[in-house]
Amino acid sequence: MTFMGYVRPDGSVGTRNHVLVIPQGIISKSICDFVPGTKTLISPDHGSGRTANDRETIARVLIGLGRNPNVASVILHAASPGAGYPELRPERLAEEIAASGKRVELIDPARDGGTYGAIVKGIQLAREMVYEASRLRREPVGDEHLCLGVKCGYSDTTSGLAGNPAIGYLYDKIVAARGTAMFGETTEIIGAEHALARRAASPKVAGEILEVARIQEERAKATGLDIRTVNPVPANIKGGISSLEEKSLGAIHKAGTSPIQGVLRYGERPPGKGLYFVDNWMGHLSIFAGYAAAGANIVMFQLGGGGVAGRTLLEGSPSVVVPFLWTTANPRTYAAARESVDFYSGTVIEGTETPEEAGERLYRTVIEVASGTLARSETLAYTDPVQIYLQEPVF
Amino acid sequence: MHPSDNVATAVEEIRPGEVVSVPFQKEVITLRATEAIPFGFKIALTEIAQGEVIRKYGEVIGKASMPIAKGSLVHVHNLEGTRGRGDLEKGVER
Repeated sequence: MTFMGYVRPDGSVGTRNHVLVIPQGIISKSICDFVPGTKTLISPDHGSGRTANDRETIARVLIGLGRNPNVASVILHAASPGAGYPELRPERLAEEIAASGKRVELIDPARDGGTYGAIVKGIQLAREMVYEASRLRREPVGDEHLCLGVKCGYSDTTSGLAGNPAIGYLYDKIVAARGTAMFGETTEIIGAEHALARRAASPKVAGEILEVARIQEERAKATGLDIRTVNPVPANIKGGISSLEEKSLGAIHKAGTSPIQGVLRYGERPPGKGLYFVDNWMGHLSIFAGYAAAGANIVMFQLGGGGVAGRTLLEGSPSVVVPFLWTTANPRTYAAARESVDFYSGTVIEGTETPEEAGERLYRTVIEVASGTLARSETLAYTDPVQIYLQEPVF
Repeated sequence: MHPSDNVATAVEEIRPGEVVSVPFQKEVITLRATEAIPFGFKIALTEIAQGEVIRKYGEVIGKASMPIAKGSLVHVHNLEGTRGRGDLEKGVER
């Protein structure tokens, strides 16, 4: 037994114990403003005017957040602009979340006395539900109940030398303990897809990795632009990265060395344990909510620092119900934003720690946060909107 | 980083004219930097002809857009990516 978590009816284990109020909008926000212990998301992506594929992605995110092990119970309201579409019907969302054995309550302005009435009913329900949730105790559980998600950003040389290898060490350790770990950012495997495909658990998975990279490169070419005008981003180039291929080859180090069990869509729940590649986009407002919807109970942003000079405060990216950790190996980034950073591995470059020692220290940090120590981002009451990764045109 | 690489990454600032030692194909070679190589940037280990592929981690990271002299800085001014190049696609209006 390694960490203390909240055991849910479906056997999954939470690192937090929130009541979730969804979909986004004034009803959810008003309920959460009144009742501590609740969470909602802010997002413009409610589904209206979106294609069936994109609406299904939004539904996958909302259902996935409700099913996330960090959620004790859920309040759903029926007043979202997208609620009339079959994919986003409140009853459908409620049913799929309730299949995990959690309490789900539905409120509907049409039935509950209009918008004001629905807010009042929601507040009453939420107060009762956070009280009920608070009666649950953490229990000792093993690492197989950890589910991790990661992104690296503002990458520079310190990312490749120490930052990503520390994450890779953690990923290998959690996968070896029969836990689950996810990484992604499809654009950033272009040029390294053959190296990842060699690590696939089966020829089928290898084919899927090559295929998502091929589709993404075709999309890039269809713009008629040199992708270097988009990615690597200016901060990467300022840090010494010269091409997308070079960035990709460095970026894949954060996933460790375990076999890749499958390729998942954005927000899709892994069907088993082990390491998974997610066909997602690097945007920090997008990727972490996707990991949360897939069931992550810890997410991490491995930060380089080239191009973020002057940033003395690092606000967490929106992960809705999941503790979000900042890690960096850049001494300047760490010195500038010390109370924002959860883990520093520049010690490896400075020669005071081996990569294994740094990786072990990251593991202990993750175990502490999983057991209830606050992630640094949780000490700040600020939330950016979630940008759900939608890929089709709007009408 | 790999025996087939023709560039190496500077793990500290290299001054113009400085002589540096780099592990290269099972031996340690010394070369003179022809210009400043900032921390985290790449230095050419060999003469690289225009159009020749550039390797790091043993993998292709692009090709030389101009001849690159041994000991000089390799970056976006003389290395171009070969992937995701919509600007090179046939039939695309530029």
